[in-house]
Amino acid sequence: MPELRVIGINKRFGTYQALSNVSFTVAPGEILGLIGPNGAGKSTLLECIAGLLPADSGTIKWQDRPLSLEERKQILWYQPDNILPFAEQRVAATLSFFRQIHGVSSKDLAQLVDELELPPMLAKPLKDLSKGYRRRVLLALALLSPQPLLMLDEPFDGFDLRQSLAVMDLLRDCRTGRTIILSIHQLSEAEKICDRFLLLDQSCVLGIGTLDELRKQSGLSTREGLEEVFLAIT
Amino acid sequence: MPLPETPSKKQLAWLVLNQEIRSLLLSPALWIMLIIVSLLVGYSFIQAVDLFSQASRTALSFPEMASGMNPLEGIFVPTFGAYYLSQTLLLPFVAIRLIGLDKQSGALKLLLQLPLSPFALCGLKLVAMGIVWLASLLPAALALIVWNNLGGHIYPPEIITLLAGHGLYSLTVICIAMFAATISDSLPTAAMFCLAATLGSWVLDFAASSQNGLLGTLGSLSLTNMLRQFESGLLSMTHVISFFSLGLLFFLLTVIWLHPGKRSLLKSGKSLAALLVLALVVSATQKVPQFMDVTENKRHSLNPADSRALQKLDKPLTITIHLDPQDSRLLDLKHDLLAKLARSVPTMHVKYAQTQSTGLFSASEDDNYGLIEYEYNGHHDKNYSNSQNEILPIIYNLAGLQVTPDSVAVYGGHPLVADATGSRLWFHIFLPLLFLCGALLAHRGKL
Repeated sequence: MPELRVIGINKRFGTYQALSNVSFTVAPGEILGLIGPNGAGKSTLLECIAGLLPADSGTIKWQDRPLSLEERKQILWYQPDNILPFAEQRVAATLSFFRQIHGVSSKDLAQLVDELELPPMLAKPLKDLSKGYRRRVLLALALLSPQPLLMLDEPFDGFDLRQSLAVMDLLRDCRTGRTIILSIHQLSEAEKICDRFLLLDQSCVLGIGTLDELRKQSGLSTREGLEEVFLAIT
Repeated sequence: MPLPETPSKKQLAWLVLNQEIRSLLLSPALWIMLIIVSLLVGYSFIQAVDLFSQASRTALSFPEMASGMNPLEGIFVPTFGAYYLSQTLLLPFVAIRLIGLDKQSGALKLLLQLPLSPFALCGLKLVAMGIVWLASLLPAALALIVWNNLGGHIYPPEIITLLAGHGLYSLTVICIAMFAATISDSLPTAAMFCLAATLGSWVLDFAASSQNGLLGTLGSLSLTNMLRQFESGLLSMTHVISFFSLGLLFFLLTVIWLHPGKRSLLKSGKSLAALLVLALVVSATQKVPQFMDVTENKRHSLNPADSRALQKLDKPLTITIHLDPQDSRLLDLKHDLLAKLARSVPTMHVKYAQTQSTGLFSASEDDNYGLIEYEYNGHHDKNYSNSQNEILPIIYNLAGLQVTPDSVAVYGGHPLVADATGSRLWFHIFLPLLFLCGALLAHRGKL
């Protein structure tokens, strides 16, 4: 039985159709990558699932049960892209706030902070950090959340290759008992970490499946990567 | 990572409240406001004591003038006038950050995912702002202490009422600011929206101050006019509930419009429902007006025997006034007697005859100009006087009543010649320095 089932999501901003009949499922413990160019509707889709944007139509089900806005708070945590929460506060204070909110122990937070190489930044306000460190703090906030479904918008943006690989390891570690949806526009990173892919372009789902399934769908050989598959399908 | 134990609702609320207070303490606008309030309150207080002392010198020589010397009007209303300025012009910039900054930084998207309702979230933000508002009362507390040390008289019910008025005024401004931030895309737009509301209310009150009709009614609903009731020491249940309802309305609108995940149609419907319910509550309170004169000398009340007698009038009392709305005699009549009568007589109609004066020293073309007619139970009488001592007997005569006034203690006033310039150091140096230190400590994460 799929963990999350998204059925027929439509979203329009005025005359612009941002999402057109988007449906997909995510299995328990799976990492699903939302793949698509900028403006494809990835963030809009995540916000609709999180309940931070009202979808014009469609249903979100968790374990085959429709999810109300209130229930979504228990089931999922969505980490938006390009945010700078409590930017004037010290990183330590913000992390401590979310640690306590989510009931995480100080020891676990300290471990996470170490893994993300954040200790030198703890005394600084978030606004004073570089883009890479801001990303790490946001990732820490997301990983502190206990919800079984984690949705991250562009988690690798701003990281170099080594950092991206380290973050992938962290995400793999935390996937035990959790389902993850990642919105990614860097296909090389997506290929390394995601179990399945949902290809989104111009508000529509163009394909969904594992890399092999998508290769078959696009008629490409097994040697071709996600980039070639994406280009072939779009 | 082991599965964590999530905090209870109470613990969650406490954590969010702390976070909101921390955010506010890091706001330069807050500390700038506190420093300005300190300077303004100090200036107003010292000026008020100076003027009160000058008037008191005369009153001490002529004791019959002393009854006019009450500290509420002479000292505390002008001192708290500094708060009116800061609440109108500065407080919106602090309150807007409560939601505006969270929206701008994206923190709101995280906060809305916490197991807290928008109502609870907005409530906690309001509580955080309330705590900050209490801190802003420090200069006022200092003024009270200095006044007390100078030997000045303090009548607590008057001070509490004045504080309650400023509290409600601040609450309304904060809620307007929160709503403005909720529906605006940027902080400057929200600031403009909020200032338009507070300054618009100020202008409306100014423009409608001596007008009857629609403009007069609108003026009576302005925030400034609502605050004035508390400054005068006369508490009207209708005004208190209207004032509170206005703040509550903007708070509810903030709650309704805060969550971006709900449809605009649903939000509009809920907003309309909130507006209607509160309008019904306010109109219901107008049907059963209740007043409380909290002044020490009961200057808004008639003699208790007069009040009891007038409350027994079971037929409508109609008063027809042949005076121009701008005529000072009418203003005196309204203030000195009509308002008191309206609070005592169960059914009273006041009519304004079509008339006009031709100038300050010119004779009126209308022979009836200045006349006041009284009608009760089919009996008529008229008089040109606007004095309570002449009008009340006319009404009693029409109603066939004999009234002997109760003996009440004569209010002797509280004249005081004092010099508060010594407190200048506190208001202009020590308090601003204290707030500056607070700002620095907050910036270093030590507050």
